[in-house]
Amino acid sequence: MSDNNRTGVLLALPATAYVGLLVAAPLGVLVLYSFWTQTYIDIDRSFTWENYRTAFSDPLVRHLLIRSIWMAGLVTFVTVALAYPIAYFVAFRTRNKTFWLLLITIPFWISYLLRVFAWRVILGFNGLINSTLMSAGLIDEPLDFLLYNEFAVIMTLAHAWAPFAILPIYVSLQRIDRSLLEAASDLGAGRVECFLRVTLPLTIPGIIASSLIIFIPTVGDYVTPALVGGSDGKMVANLIQVYFGAANNWPLGATLSLMSMAAVGMVAVAFVVLLRSAGKAIR
Amino acid sequence: MFHQVTRLAGQTALAGVLAGAALADGSDLSIFDWSGYEDPGFYGAYIETYGVGPRYSYFANEDEAFARLQSGFRADLAHPCSYVTHKWADAGLLQPIDTSRLEHWDDLLSGIRTVDGISFNGETWMVPFDWGNTGLIYRTDEISPDDISLEILTDPSLRGRISLPDGALEAFTLAILATGAQDDFPDLSEEQFQAALDYLRAVHENVRFYWSDATQLDQALASGEVIMGWGWNQTEINLISNGVPAEMMRDVEEGIVTWVCGYVHLEGASTPDEQVYDMLNALTAPESGQYIIENWGYAHSNARAFERADPDLVEAFGLADPETFFDGSLFSVPLSPQLDRRLREEYERIKSGF
Repeated sequence: MSDNNRTGVLLALPATAYVGLLVAAPLGVLVLYSFWTQTYIDIDRSFTWENYRTAFSDPLVRHLLIRSIWMAGLVTFVTVALAYPIAYFVAFRTRNKTFWLLLITIPFWISYLLRVFAWRVILGFNGLINSTLMSAGLIDEPLDFLLYNEFAVIMTLAHAWAPFAILPIYVSLQRIDRSLLEAASDLGAGRVECFLRVTLPLTIPGIIASSLIIFIPTVGDYVTPALVGGSDGKMVANLIQVYFGAANNWPLGATLSLMSMAAVGMVAVAFVVLLRSAGKAIR
Repeated sequence: MFHQVTRLAGQTALAGVLAGAALADGSDLSIFDWSGYEDPGFYGAYIETYGVGPRYSYFANEDEAFARLQSGFRADLAHPCSYVTHKWADAGLLQPIDTSRLEHWDDLLSGIRTVDGISFNGETWMVPFDWGNTGLIYRTDEISPDDISLEILTDPSLRGRISLPDGALEAFTLAILATGAQDDFPDLSEEQFQAALDYLRAVHENVRFYWSDATQLDQALASGEVIMGWGWNQTEINLISNGVPAEMMRDVEEGIVTWVCGYVHLEGASTPDEQVYDMLNALTAPESGQYIIENWGYAHSNARAFERADPDLVEAFGLADPETFFDGSLFSVPLSPQLDRRLREEYERIKSGF
C-alpha cells in the first residue's frame, strides 16, 4: 500500500466505522426482524416470509406507499421549481451573495417541529389566512380545506426543504463558465435559447442532487403528516410508526420500512436516469 | 383500630427518621409520567419528608412508554392507566404492590380499587391515583342538549365537524357504547366487534381530524372547527374555564366511559422500597386528592379527598356521587391481547378510510 493509499484509508476509517455501526448494523437488524414474527410481547425468531406476504397483499400499504411517493414527488417538483429562480437570482443577478444565502437559511434558525406548528397556526381554522380573509370580508366562513389534508403536508414540506433545493442548484449555477454564455449569445442564441441549451443542461447535476435530497427524506417523513396531514394526508411512515408503537408489531414495521426503502430507491434511480437522458436530449 | 393507627404512625415516624438518618435524597426517586403530574401539590407529604420532589421523565402515551420500558428505560414508578397493566405485567415490567404498606389503601373508592387491571393473578399491580371520564364533549351553542346522542355522530349533516381520538382503545369504547355492547365488554362476540368497527367507519366520514394530544381537541372545539369530540374531562374543564359554551354528555344512559390511572412499581427500580412507598402514600393522601380536585378538576382515588374538597367545585366538576356514577358508566378495561391487536390494526385502516 502506498503512503497515499494508507492516508486515504486512515482518513476514511472514522466515518466508515461510524456509518457501519450506526447505519449498516441497524439496517441488518431491520432485515432480521422482517423475517421474524411478533407474538403478543415476545418475538418468534423462526424464519418466515409471512410479513412480506401480509404487506404485499395489504391494500392499505399499497395505497400509503403510492401516496407517499406521489406526495414526495409533488413536494420535490414544487420545491425545485420554486428554488431554481431564487438560486438563479443569487448566482447571476446580485452582488450581495452572502447576504442572500444567509437570508435563505433563516428558517433553519428554529426547530423543524416549531416550523410545522407555525404552519398549523397559519393554515388553521381560525389561523392567519382565515382570519385575514374573514376580516377583509372576502369570506364568511373559514376555509376548511387549508389544514389536515395532502395540500397542507405539501405546503409545509416545500417550505421546510426549500434551502436544500436552493443551495445545490446555486452551486451548479455558480460553477458555469460565464464565457460559455457569452459564446452562445455570440453565436446568435437568444436569452431563452441560451438558458435552455447552456444553463439548464449544465445545472442538471444540481437539480438531480436537490431533487434526491428532498425526495428521499420526504417519502419517509412522519412528523409533518402526523401534525398537519389529518386522515387524508397520512403517509407510509405514519403506518410504520404505528407498527413500532401502538400496534406493537416490530417485524411487520421492519418489513414496511424495508419495502419503502426499496420503493424509494427504485424511484430515485429511475428519476436520475430519466433526467440525465432528458439533459442530453436538450443539448 | 387505635392500635393500628399508632402502629402506622410509628412506622411513618420511623420511616421519617430512617430516611433522615440515611440522608436519602428525595430526587433519587425517578418517575415516568404524563407531563403535568410533577405538580408538587400532588405529593406534599413526600416533600415534607425529603425536602425535594422526585425526578420526572415523560411519555406522551402508554404505547410509547411501553416501548421505552421494554427497550431498557429504567425508573422507579410509572403512571399508566389500568387497561395496560395486564400487558405490562406479562412483559415482566412490574413488581407487585404490597398493599399493607399503603396507608390510604382502605380509603380508596371501592369502585376504583376493584377495576380490572388493579389487581389480578393474586397480586395488586397498581395504586389507583386519578380517574375521570371519556365522553362526548359538544358545543352547547351548536347542538341542544336534548338532541345530543352517540347516534348523531354518523349523521351526514355533521361532515367534518367531529374529532375522534387517535388512540384505538379510546375510540373503541365510544363504538361499544354506541352499538350497545357495553354489557358484554370486553368479552365481545365477532358480530359485536365488527358492528363496533362499522360504527367507527361510519363516523370516519364525519371526522375532521383524529386528535393525538388533548390540546388539539380543546383548540378545535374552542374555535368552532369541530363541534363535537370524544375526549377527556380535562377538555371540558379547559373549555368551560375559558368561557366556551361546551359540556360533556354525562348521561349514563347515553354512554360515558370511566378511566382509572395510577402508579405502578417498575421492575428494576433502584430506589429503596421505603422511599417508593412514601411517595405512593403521599400521592394517595386525602390532601393530595383535595388539591387535584380543586385545582385540576380531576377526580382522585381517595374517597376522603371528596369530603375535604370544596363541595361547590366537586358538584361543578360532576364528581358529587362517584360510586353511583360508576354503576352506569363503562369502565375502560383491557381487551384480550388478540382482540387488542386486531383492533389497533383495524383502527389504522379505518382512519385511512379503508
